[in-house]
Amino acid sequence: MAKPVVRKPKKKSNPLKTAKVETVDYKDVALLRKFISDRGKIRARRVTGVSVQEQRQIARAVKNAREMALLPYTSTAR
Amino acid sequence: MRQYELMVILDPEIEERTVAPSLDKYLSVVTTDGGSVDKVDIWGRRRLSYDIKKKSEGIYAVVDFTAEPATAKELDRQLGLNEVVLRTKVLRTDAD
Repeated sequence: MAKPVVRKPKKKSNPLKTAKVETVDYKDVALLRKFISDRGKIRARRVTGVSVQEQRQIARAVKNAREMALLPYTSTAR
Repeated sequence: MRQYELMVILDPEIEERTVAPSLDKYLSVVTTDGGSVDKVDIWGRRRLSYDIKKKSEGIYAVVDFTAEPATAKELDRQLGLNEVVLRTKVLRTDAD
């Protein structure tokens, strides 16, 4: 019988906590850049390691920033 | 009365020192309707992530103001009609 693979979930450090951010602001482009991929897509919560509520705030902020051309909708890297 | 935050992107072809006076002119709707302009922050010229109206740059300005909802809507409408304004965004800062 194959032994069930037990994976230790690696605790990710919350990037918002380390940056000491209370509310995510769409004007803070430097912060939001951490949550988008090099293609300009919003990184999944699985990857970012933030809470559901925080991920929502981030998603909203990124979308607002995109509307104001602070962040790209798509970037043609490659 | 509610608190709002307005972000505008202006045409990069206008003179940078005319930005503050013309912004004051646009914001006069707020003051005449009994609201107040709390803070004006002109970021200056900035590269756009993508072209808007064939422009690759824009002059950004962020304004905090207090006004009635109808006034905020009217301000957004007037800015939208203005040729010099590339884009606007009005958000409530007292909510969420």
